[in-house]
Amino acid sequence: MAAIPEDLFFATIGELNAKLTAREFSAVELARAFTARLEQLGPRYNALALALTPQAIRKAEEVDKDIKRGRLRGPLQGIPYGAKDLLSYAGQPTTWGARPYAGQVFDYNATVIDRLDSVGAVITGKLAMVELAGGGGYRYAAASLTGPGLNPWDRSCWSGGSSSGSAAAVAAGLVTFAIGSETSGSIVTPASFCGVTALRPTYGLVSRHGAMALSWTLDKLGPFARSAEDCGMVLQVIAGKDGRDPGSAGKSFYYTPQYSRPVKELKAGYAPVDFDERAEPGARAAFAAALGALKETGLQLVETKLPDFPYGATLSAILAAESASIFEPLISSGQVDQLADAAQIAGLKAALDLPARDYLKAMRIRRLMQEDFSLLFAEVDVLVTPGRLGPASKVEQPLDGSAPGPGGAAAAGGASAPPSAAPAPPQGFQGIVQAGNLAGLPALVLPCGFAGNLPLGLQVVGAPYSENTLLAVGREFQARTDWHKRRPGNA
Amino acid sequence: MKITRRKLAAAVVAAPLLGAAPLPAQTPQASTPDDLLKAARDRIKANGETLARAAVPMATEPAFQFRV
Repeated sequence: MAAIPEDLFFATIGELNAKLTAREFSAVELARAFTARLEQLGPRYNALALALTPQAIRKAEEVDKDIKRGRLRGPLQGIPYGAKDLLSYAGQPTTWGARPYAGQVFDYNATVIDRLDSVGAVITGKLAMVELAGGGGYRYAAASLTGPGLNPWDRSCWSGGSSSGSAAAVAAGLVTFAIGSETSGSIVTPASFCGVTALRPTYGLVSRHGAMALSWTLDKLGPFARSAEDCGMVLQVIAGKDGRDPGSAGKSFYYTPQYSRPVKELKAGYAPVDFDERAEPGARAAFAAALGALKETGLQLVETKLPDFPYGATLSAILAAESASIFEPLISSGQVDQLADAAQIAGLKAALDLPARDYLKAMRIRRLMQEDFSLLFAEVDVLVTPGRLGPASKVEQPLDGSAPGPGGAAAAGGASAPPSAAPAPPQGFQGIVQAGNLAGLPALVLPCGFAGNLPLGLQVVGAPYSENTLLAVGREFQARTDWHKRRPGNA
Repeated sequence: MKITRRKLAAAVVAAPLLGAAPLPAQTPQASTPDDLLKAARDRIKANGETLARAAVPMATEPAFQFRV
């Protein structure tokens, strides 16, 4: 058996695929190396929910046979990946990160897993997550069946939520890419904290069949990977119509970098205050340098304001109403008390009594938001803002924020406005994560530097179905920077 | 340290907001499940009041489907 060099754990999809098809090593050898690493290091970061080593080896054997016969199925063939543990994998536990569902087993695969299987990708494990994707609003990073997600850059810090394991596993070189989910910030936040590239697709572009539902009108699945290029390759496979997902937009996605508009022709809206004042002091220099690198791509940065809406309250009402309806049996049965986080338990219980009036008002406000964002994207092509205002917090630190960042809610369940005061005037792009999720907008997170030893991320948001534009910006940025190639020293 | 229900509500429901300044650690740890539930309910009520203040034209339909 050929030894797998350490560097390959951090190789891109394209690099690994080229070596596989050149038969420098076999898919089985690659799968053995990655599964061993995932089993060994996954628990170190509380990133592993379930190893699928035998299944991975069997799949890799199939891949080797296909490659031997010249049946090439695209760049993901033979590539090891992990899936957030809210995606069903037939015959194996799917816990949703929560004790009440620890023994849950489905007899079918999530659509994204089937789609990846069809092109020869090799699933090596299920990855840890915040319980129920944080739907009730959680107060501690420890709100998970597998314990708090630990950041590969500094294990005393959180890896972010709710797709904690997906981000950490990519950052630590345990998988080449991973699938996570976002309802409100669950891709953007962990990608920013762990220094990996990630894409939140347009609502409806990727089927959620077989994924835990938290909010029918907000949930989305997307990739964490080593580069914008890799995110594009994965999205092309997992996107597409699926009659089993009522929210499916019925659209496909073709990753077509060759047809992208030149970045120098694109206009990016931004708020300087996000980078100069709202960002944590220790992060400002890195964000300033990132803006400089963006300008070097030719991207035209113009000052922009977000439409003025109560994003936090709107998202909170919709999420609370939908999640309480989905988890009503859990709440009503009292099993909700088995969750790890007391705030999450209280949030779910309280949400059962949310008035229909509030939900419908929020959904009507949401319509106006969508219309206003449509107008905004007639003026600019993308929006640029920090993924989070600063680096990851200490793992034991309560996740309270005195004010939401441009990332807004770190995970599902977020609400932003303080209860007593009238909403403060929006400052910069405060509320962009809630806004982006409410309007169903895609977002790309790009590693953009460090604050101390911890990574930071830049968030690029676009109009619905503008993923190729976002990826073009990401590619140009990553051609001029190497933040996405950095690795944690202790991984 | 004394904390009002309103402050507690702000703290609890803002839980997923990763932000800068956490409350003193002893405050939430001392909260009982009843306190947390009351705070969560207060938060929902406050959110509803925020939504009620937003003007929406009568003809605006809920955004149950996305259109591009």
